Amino acid sequence: MTWRTKRENVERAAEDLRRRTLSEIPRSLDRLIYLASMRDYNTGLYCHDGLAERFSQEAACEALADCHREAFRELLGTPLEELVAQIEAYVRATRTSPFDFITAWKKLEPYRVAVPVQTDSLSSEFLFSNFKVALAILEARLRPGQPAAAA
Amino acid sequence: MIPLIIYLTIGALLFLALLYVVARSSNGERAGNDPLREARQAVQTLESGLLPRELIGRIFAREDFDYVASCGSEEICRTFLRERQRVARSWVGMIEKQIGSLRRFHRVVARQHSGLSMRTEAGLAFDFAALLLACRALRVLLYVRGPLAAPRAVGATVAVATRICEASKQSMAFLNPASIAAMGTGPGGAPVL
Repeated sequence: MTWRTKRENVERAAEDLRRRTLSEIPRSLDRLIYLASMRDYNTGLYCHDGLAERFSQEAACEALADCHREAFRELLGTPLEELVAQIEAYVRATRTSPFDFITAWKKLEPYRVAVPVQTDSLSSEFLFSNFKVALAILEARLRPGQPAAAA
Repeated sequence: MIPLIIYLTIGALLFLALLYVVARSSNGERAGNDPLREARQAVQTLESGLLPRELIGRIFAREDFDYVASCGSEEICRTFLRERQRVARSWVGMIEKQIGSLRRFHRVVARQHSGLSMRTEAGLAFDFAALLLACRALRVLLYVRGPLAAPRAVGATVAVATRICEASKQSMAFLNPASIAAMGTGPGGAPVL
């Protein structure tokens, strides 16, 4: 199989993933977390049985990596206000208590493992910094007597 | 006895001088191999990671500060400004590092091997100096007036860095296979490029 054919196969797989799965996940933060969860942390390779069955293991892996990078770039370009709203919506979707969620995210910083491999250090540093500020804003909203930040 | 001590001292000094010369020449050989690879990497890092407009626009975005200010908490405003300043300073530091690699490349390799004219080389030298000066000024501005106070300086830095990237790519394109081979080969005989 030539490089071109392989690449076309990956693009078809990515398109399939976008159409069937990612279109159901409207927020880029949720997509980033979902795609990061498809990655085996021991090997760095992405796994998706359905996609691998329709295309190939290799094509599925590369398609997931492409979509992961896409979601990362999208989140990186998201204004802080929108990021706060996305985290808020994510907290609601997980049905966790907002206080517990913020405490855990501030302590464990799970977003650090959600970035795609080979992301440049400035981009990840910038995103982590935005998460830090967004969590501080959400935390302030939970404190009684705090001015109501734009909800 | 005294002449013997003098001879021994002179001998020791000559030996140390010889060691120094050998160490310098082996460093020079290593530098002849690395700058090209470093320069290609630097151009790639600058183009894909440090100079994209969207990322720079986001780091120095005023709208984020306006939003944070509207939250009404001074503590969050301070956290935000501290974070943005940290990222902005890190950005300046990374630009300086990559530009340093490109300057080394031009010093060691491009002057001997590329077909750039004297005028282009002079322009490039001016750009390097201007950019490093701009980076230092930007650092001071970021420190004194915060991350959102220097949009023009950021724009100017990006413009000069982009120009240097373009000129460096041009220099690399001028390098002919013979000069690449002369600079060294990678494992298995593959060119370092």
